[in-house]
This record gives sequence, structure tokens and C-alpha cells, in this order.
Amino acid sequence: MLARVADSLYWMARYIERAEHSARLIAVKLESMIEQSPEEADASWMRVVAALTGEEAKTTDAFAVTQSLAFDRANRSSLVNSLHYARDNARQVREQLSTEVWEHLNRLYLGTHGETVESIWVHQPAAFFRQTLEDLFTLGGVTYTTLRHGEGWHFLELGRHIERAQLVSRLLDIHFGIVAPGYAQPPPPPKYFDWLVLLKFCTAFEPYCKEYTAALRPERIAQFLLFDAEFPHSVRFSVDRVVEALSYVAPGALPARRAGCERLAGRLKASVDFGQIDELTGGSIDAFLVNITRQCEQIHEAVYAAYIAYDAEAVL
Amino acid sequence: MQQGTARLDELNGAAGPGRGAPYARYVLGAAYDEMFGRDGLVHPHYAALDARLRTLSSDDLARRQQACEQSFLHQGITFTVYSDAQATERIIPTDLLPRIVTAAEWERVERGLKQRITALNLFLRDIYTEGRVLKDGIVPRKMILGSKHYRREMRGVAVPHGAYVNVCGTDLVRREDGAFVVLEDNLRVPSGVSYMLANRDVVRRAFPNVFRAARVKPIEQYPNELLATLKALLPFQEDVSIAVLTPGVFNSAFFEHAFLARQMGVELVEGRDLLVNDNCVYARTTSGLKRIDVIYRRVDDDFVDPLTFREESELGVPGLFNAYRAGNVVLANALGTGVADDKAVYAYVPRLIRYYLSEEPILDNVETFLCREEKSLGHVLANLDKLVVKAVGESGGYGMLVGPHASQKERDDFAEKLKADPENYIAQPTIQLSTAPTFVDGGVEARHVDLRPFILTAEETRIVPGGLTRVALKKGSLVVNSSQGGGSKDTWVLSS
Repeated sequence: MLARVADSLYWMARYIERAEHSARLIAVKLESMIEQSPEEADASWMRVVAALTGEEAKTTDAFAVTQSLAFDRANRSSLVNSLHYARDNARQVREQLSTEVWEHLNRLYLGTHGETVESIWVHQPAAFFRQTLEDLFTLGGVTYTTLRHGEGWHFLELGRHIERAQLVSRLLDIHFGIVAPGYAQPPPPPKYFDWLVLLKFCTAFEPYCKEYTAALRPERIAQFLLFDAEFPHSVRFSVDRVVEALSYVAPGALPARRAGCERLAGRLKASVDFGQIDELTGGSIDAFLVNITRQCEQIHEAVYAAYIAYDAEAVL
Repeated sequence: MQQGTARLDELNGAAGPGRGAPYARYVLGAAYDEMFGRDGLVHPHYAALDARLRTLSSDDLARRQQACEQSFLHQGITFTVYSDAQATERIIPTDLLPRIVTAAEWERVERGLKQRITALNLFLRDIYTEGRVLKDGIVPRKMILGSKHYRREMRGVAVPHGAYVNVCGTDLVRREDGAFVVLEDNLRVPSGVSYMLANRDVVRRAFPNVFRAARVKPIEQYPNELLATLKALLPFQEDVSIAVLTPGVFNSAFFEHAFLARQMGVELVEGRDLLVNDNCVYARTTSGLKRIDVIYRRVDDDFVDPLTFREESELGVPGLFNAYRAGNVVLANALGTGVADDKAVYAYVPRLIRYYLSEEPILDNVETFLCREEKSLGHVLANLDKLVVKAVGESGGYGMLVGPHASQKERDDFAEKLKADPENYIAQPTIQLSTAPTFVDGGVEARHVDLRPFILTAEETRIVPGGLTRVALKKGSLVVNSSQGGGSKDTWVLSS
């Protein structure tokens, strides 16, 4: 597979994952607002903004925040931009995708890029994000079922799960970690309803209840979203997929070239396979989550150095 | 109403039965019409389509047209228009109504195209090796060696099967008498074949029963035939590694490049994916470097190799030309083919056919006067008000006189230029392209069309029946280019 193609597939998957995450956070937030007091709603908007942009919220007005997170073209991580970048990457490797995958993504892009916050606000704003989510789920299914599960597929998986592991880690950090210094007005600590919302942000409410019953306890939620081996939105699950994908990509590369990525991924896997929530008390969960994000970035860089942006002289 | 034109219903005695709604605005002019004879009667090969059209309302047609356009939009057969920092996707216009060609007409066109490409390839081999045609004085030496598309670097380079032009797109038009004539040979990197296939896909769905009944020859095998042509360029090698070289996603034909690579199952590469080492071409893959044997390049000569041609080119591959000269990679088309499709050489093609093949041309050129020849110059000067005069080295309408539309003073001034430098000019009569039924503003109207078949050549010549019919969507316009309000149509070649 061409290195440039691998690059585009990898980023296409990352942007699709980012779009799905944005759409779900906004949908869940808009739906849960009605049950929250104004103060609670503001605090939870602040967490959503921090999770999606990494920055402090300038406003907690639902209309303005939705505009910025979903439709603002100046905001690099807005939903419409994620879809735009995903489609741009797909277009560059159009010949590598099935017609079904391309046309589904293209329709999804064409269907959302004309929308504005005003146009969706007239009806039920959450419905737009639910529809987008559903379209993204369909895209996932169409991809799974029409694309050959070869090297390109594994680059998609790699991108999707490196992105997901980081997004979930950041979301957890915002709910469990120490609030970053520099906040003019730190948000109040989460309450029962906020834990429920956190689970819904990760489509985890029902799976969590099956495992632990509806008794929502923060340490169990953290255990579930970090260390559960079978839930698709847990950090551990994503790390497993990253390790697996790495064993399939670049099948012709010599062991010496593979070693860097595999060592980093194996180390990350060990930390989530054998991690335990009761060891992460006090401030240490914060450091643990930050470390996961950093290790994901290191894996990304190692993949680029080994398979995509390598020096041609070295392999001649 | 224009002089010399007639509305169909008048020809038929005031909107007789069956000449109502769909053709109410259909005007027959001086041009040959694909569907109707001069008497206003439908040509037999259009009868099935005619019968269907008369059962459909304007709304029915509009719905089908919309379905075609939706399909193009979803497939991404679009170009992007930027305004207010908002990117809008526009489709390449497509017309619902097929253009139909009979088996007998096509048979003659196909023979004519094969004959023409054979002569053109012999001519290219000749001017890059022995130069017999120049020594024999058939074509002026100065005209060839002085052409900006003549590539000195190509002299003596071995080209498989002597097939310099592997993919040719020849533009044909119909004269007023209905005969197909050649307007232009496109021997460099002709495009449009993906629209030919995309049009078929949507129009077949719009008229499934008419399509089946008409027994239209298939064209879906084109990518396979292209692949066979490219493979045949290395006939003795088992595994030939083939790539399509594209300028990239911002090129207006990118959809086509990706489409062809996908349909052939070969790699689509950009210049930055390739590198040359020890005169061999490699692609950068995730697993390391992979040797490339044949490149179907959709990048112009000037941009393929910054070391040999334009050094500022970022689309090309440094060292590619040396690898090519060394015989370690095959480029399709060969470099330097553009010398044979300029306006001056065009006028010589009938003579080239006679010279190399000792045959009479099957397809005529549009009548062309070479001002470098004294007799022709006299005729051109005497008839400037009826002719279009073109400078041979120019394109895009630059240095051109459209006699019938020019003032007396403009013609007089141009005559002086002609006399001063006759070698630089050719002249042609204004050509009336044929008209074909086209769905416009809710009705069926006559619009001018041409036809671009695609001719594939390696060890043999392969032509998929039909080609891309381009249509000037503006009323009365003769300009079919998509950049100037042109669209395209499906082309049906019938089996019998």
C-alpha cells in the first residue's frame, strides 16, 4: 500500500471518530439539559467544551456553544470540519474505498455541510445530531461489510482507535482529574446525574448497568471506561485494537522497522491490561490518563517514522 | 424565428399527432439533426426513444434528469466552486437523452479511426527516428522541428510496438450532409472517458426498456481494455506493475484518474509517491519501495520530470525521463506526441495516411487551407469573410479571425498579417455541428453536439463503441467545452 494512501486512510478514520464523538457529546448534552438546573447545565457545557476543544468555554449558552462545536468553520475541531476533513481524505484515496463507503460518506458530508445552527434550532436540535450519529454508525457498518479487511482496513482501525483512546481518556480526565490551573471559574465537581451523562457520552450506560447494575459509582465507572476488555468504547478495548492493527499493517516491512511501534504499543497495552482502579487514588488517575494520551502520540509518531514518512535512502 | 429554420410541428402540419408536447420548441436549422430528417420525420434508429418520449410528461423527464444529477453528485463527479468562503459542489452537466449512432455509421467511423491512429503512430516514429517523411518533403521539416511540442529528447528512444499514442481521444463532428469528419486529434492526455461510462450508468436507468429494446453495444469493458493495452506494452513480462500518475486531487480530471485506477485495480500515484533510483522507478509503500513498470500518466509532458523539462514542476518525478530513456519504465502516452496534434499537422493527416498506408482516408478532415501553400493563400484572402483563420502555434482562440463576424477593417488588417507570415496560419470554413435532442427547461430542444471516441493502441488498436458526446447546452452555441457551458450525453451505438 502506498505510504500516502495509508496516511489518508488513517486520518480519514481519525476524523470520522472525532465527528462521531462530537455528535454524540452534543446530542447527549442537548437531551440532558432539560433535566438540569441552569448551574448544572453550565458546568456540564464547560466539560463538553473542554472535552471537544481542549479549551475553556467562552460561553455556556446552548445555542452559541452548539454553533461553535458543530458548525463553526473557524473551529478546527467542529463537527462540520471533522466531516469535511474526513471526506477530503477519502476523496484522495477514492480508488481504495468501495463505492458504497465513498458514496455514504459523500452524502453524509453533502447533507450536513449546508446546515446551520439556526436551521436545526427550529425543530429539535438534538435530532440533527442523532441523525448524524446514525449515519456515522451506518458508515461504520458499510465499511465493515464492503471493504476488504486488508492493510487499508487495518490503517482505518489504527486511526479510529488511536483517536478513540485519546478522546475517552480526555473525557475521563475532565470528570476525574484535577482541574487544570488557569480556570477563572472551575466547574463544580460532578454529581449523580453527571455520571449518568458521562456514561451516555460513551454509549456506556446500558453496558455498565449489565456489569455493575444501575448503582452509579465513580470508581466503577472509571474502572469500566478504562479497563473493561470487552466494551468498544473503553480505553483498553481501543488499545487492544491498536496492537492488533499494528501487527497487520506494512506486512512486508522487516522486523527491525516494526520494532519501535510494537514496543510502544505493547507497553501501553500492559499498563491497561494490568491496571486497577484502586491503585489510581488521589491525583494519580490524572497522571495515568495524561500518560495514555502521551503514549498514543508516541505510537502515532513511531508509525509515521516507520511506515509513512520514512527516509527512502534507509530502505534502498 | 431564424431564417432557414423550421419548427418541427410546422413541417408536420401544425402539431400533428405525436408532435405535441415534448418537441414543441424543437427547431431544425441548417445543421444535420441526429433524430429528425430534413422532412421532420424521425430517423428509424430514434423511433423507440421517440415513442417513449411521447408517453412521458415534462415532469416525468424532469424527475429522471434530477435522478441523473443526484447520482453524479453522490458519486462526486463534481467540481468545487468557492464563494463567501463556502465551498459548493457543482456537477459536470449531464443530459438525460442519449445520442444514437447506427451500427453502419459506427463501423465506418471505427475503421477510419484505426486507419488514422495507425498513420499518426507511424508518423511519430518516423519523425523521432529516420525522418523519412521530412526528407521526402511530405511535411515541411521546419514546421516539425520548430514545433514547441517536438521533444528532441525523444529521438531514438525505443517505444513498444511503435505505439507512441496509447490513448487517443479524437473529436468528430458531423457535416451538414451528415458525414462524420475529424475536427481534432487529442494525442497527449485526453480525458472524458469516465463521463462516457458514468453517463451510460445513469441513462440506462432512466430508459431501461428503450435501452434493452435498442440493443446497444456495451462499453463497460473500457477499463479492462485499457489495462490490456498497458500490459501489452511489456509483452514478455509476467507481473507488470502498473500505476496511473495523477497531478492530484485538485486537478479537474481527478475523479477520472481515481475511477480508472479503481476500475483497473492498479495503484493511483502522485509525483510525490514515486522516486527514481539507479534509473528505476519506485513507489513509496508502507512496506518499503516497490518497482513500477508502466505508468499511465495523466500529467502533461512539461511536468513529468523537473530535471528534464520544467524545473519548477512539483507534479513530476525527478529522474523519470532518464529511467524512461534507459528502458526501465514505459510511459503511456509516450512523450512528445503533442507535435502531431497541432493545427498545422492536422491539415497534413490525410496526406500522411496516403504516404504511410497507401490508402485513401476513410474519415475526412474538416476542409483546411494551409496558408503556407500559395494556391490556398489566394483562396483564403479572397474568402476571408467566410472563413475562420487560426494561428497554428496558438490555442484558446488567440490569434484567430472569425471571418463572418469580423468587420471589414479587421479583415483587412488580418490580411496584412497573413501575407507577412503565411506559414503561421490555417483557415477553415465555419462548421455547423449536428444537433441532437436535449432536455432543456422542461422540453426537448435541438442542441449542437460532437463525439469523442477513445482509441487504445499497443500491439493492436481497441475502440469501445461510441465515446463521449459533448453538447453545447446554450441555445445556438457551437462550443461544447465543459468550461463554457457544455455538458455531455450518453452515446448509444446500436448492434444492428
